[in-house]
Amino acid sequence: MVEKARRSAVESDERGNPTRQWEVFVRDAEDDPMRHVGSVAAASGTEAHEHASRLFGWYAADVWLCPADAVERYSTRGLAETAEERSDEAAGDDDDGDDDESEEPRVYKETAGASEVNSL
Amino acid sequence: MISISKLLCDLDAEGDGLRYDAAEGSDKPQITEEKQRRPVVVWNTTRRCNLYCSHCYAAAETEPATGEFTTAEAKSFLDQLAAYGAPVVLFSGGEPLVRDDLIELVSYAADRGLRPVLSSNGTLLTREKADALRDAGLQYAGISVDGLPERNDRFRGEDGAFDAAVRGIENCLEAGLKTGLRYTITEANAPDLEGVVDLLAEKGLDRFCFYHLDYGGRGAEIVDADLSPVEKREAIERVADLTLEYHDRGEEIETLLVGNYADAAFLVEYARENFGEAKARAVYDYLERNGGDPTGERVADVDYQGNVHLTQFWQGYSLGNVRDRPFGEIWEDESNPLLEALRNREQRLTGKCADCQYQSICRGASRLRALATTGDLFAPDPQCYLRDDEVRGEGGGSVVGGAAD
Repeated sequence: MVEKARRSAVESDERGNPTRQWEVFVRDAEDDPMRHVGSVAAASGTEAHEHASRLFGWYAADVWLCPADAVERYSTRGLAETAEERSDEAAGDDDDGDDDESEEPRVYKETAGASEVNSL
Repeated sequence: MISISKLLCDLDAEGDGLRYDAAEGSDKPQITEEKQRRPVVVWNTTRRCNLYCSHCYAAAETEPATGEFTTAEAKSFLDQLAAYGAPVVLFSGGEPLVRDDLIELVSYAADRGLRPVLSSNGTLLTREKADALRDAGLQYAGISVDGLPERNDRFRGEDGAFDAAVRGIENCLEAGLKTGLRYTITEANAPDLEGVVDLLAEKGLDRFCFYHLDYGGRGAEIVDADLSPVEKREAIERVADLTLEYHDRGEEIETLLVGNYADAAFLVEYARENFGEAKARAVYDYLERNGGDPTGERVADVDYQGNVHLTQFWQGYSLGNVRDRPFGEIWEDESNPLLEALRNREQRLTGKCADCQYQSICRGASRLRALATTGDLFAPDPQCYLRDDEVRGEGGGSVVGGAAD
């Protein structure tokens, strides 16, 4: 089988903010697949289940939890990969890349009707 | 965010105010739903802070945290936001000024069409920093002060924090930066509210944002310090009165409310009582087009580890992590039943919210407060301070429906 795309490892050992993160998977009906629905911050698996139940209890028949730092992740578009490409570009450029960028016009996509804009 | 000054002082009861978001070449007010679909993104650039505030939603610490974005990662993240079309990135923390690369990142965001704004405690904003941020393209600095000196310093865990924040505000104003105050109202500092506005207005500040306490981070540990709903109503009424008093004197301060959309309903009632039915209707129509509580829609938060949150206050749950996939993918993924439910919450709200006449301009206010206090995501916000007759539209006139029908 031919690999379709190049995936890179995604760092996942530091996801706590600062409480440990637990990835949450839920199933609605019995013939549905498990679905990843984000993560909750919790000190233990029991607490994570309680937290996830408050968020998804109205929806889910099954809830699975997994410590976020126990998940091996590989992605074609992870943040580290694009950041690494940026470092490569910077290393190969004698000039400061920012100089070029600063010549670009700063056109803000400001939305006059958005109440949150420029105001938090 | 609700602008009291715009609603009560600028909005024309005859409807001119509706041109505020009218499309070019059109006299008709435009529904802004499409434009507001992309959220303002609050980015907690670091967990580190030089202060230790008792109400910090980000639970910031004085020691640096591991796992924060490198400069290269931060730029890739800003690229994600620009590619998605986020209109604004709010550099927050912790205290964003403890990051050595802040000015570089502000400049990077500005160059990509992201409007960069700042949320800071102000104590590290020297004149040089303010000048550098202005030159980097910063569009706005919101500085937190939570009371007059004694109360503020107790709240913020450091003597002299008030004076340092005021110096920061002055430095921003001297640098020509648009600057505003952020004030989180609690039981401890409510009595200082007018004093802080008076003092800072004298310094030349003309923008005041009042935050309701939300129950996330350390804020969740001081729920008892929140005002009761009755006291909250009184505080909001005092802010509205204060706004009118300043405008009557010709001092056009801007006052805004954040974090409790019961305020929207209250301001319709306030407008009716003080200016009459036509003004109340104009206020209602304006608020309805702005869309009520913005959680999961018009505001997003990304913490220092890359976790994406429904608002900056809701740090206990994450939709996904930008280290795994781009922000836009996460934010658009309505296969997440919670995200979908919050965006279509009207049909799920229970209790008095289910039948409230102001549902479309409030949308149940804070789902986080409801969850934190009742365990029910769709229960009424415990900080709703509307009277029963206001909820049911019994009392005086009702602007809901009416002329539009």
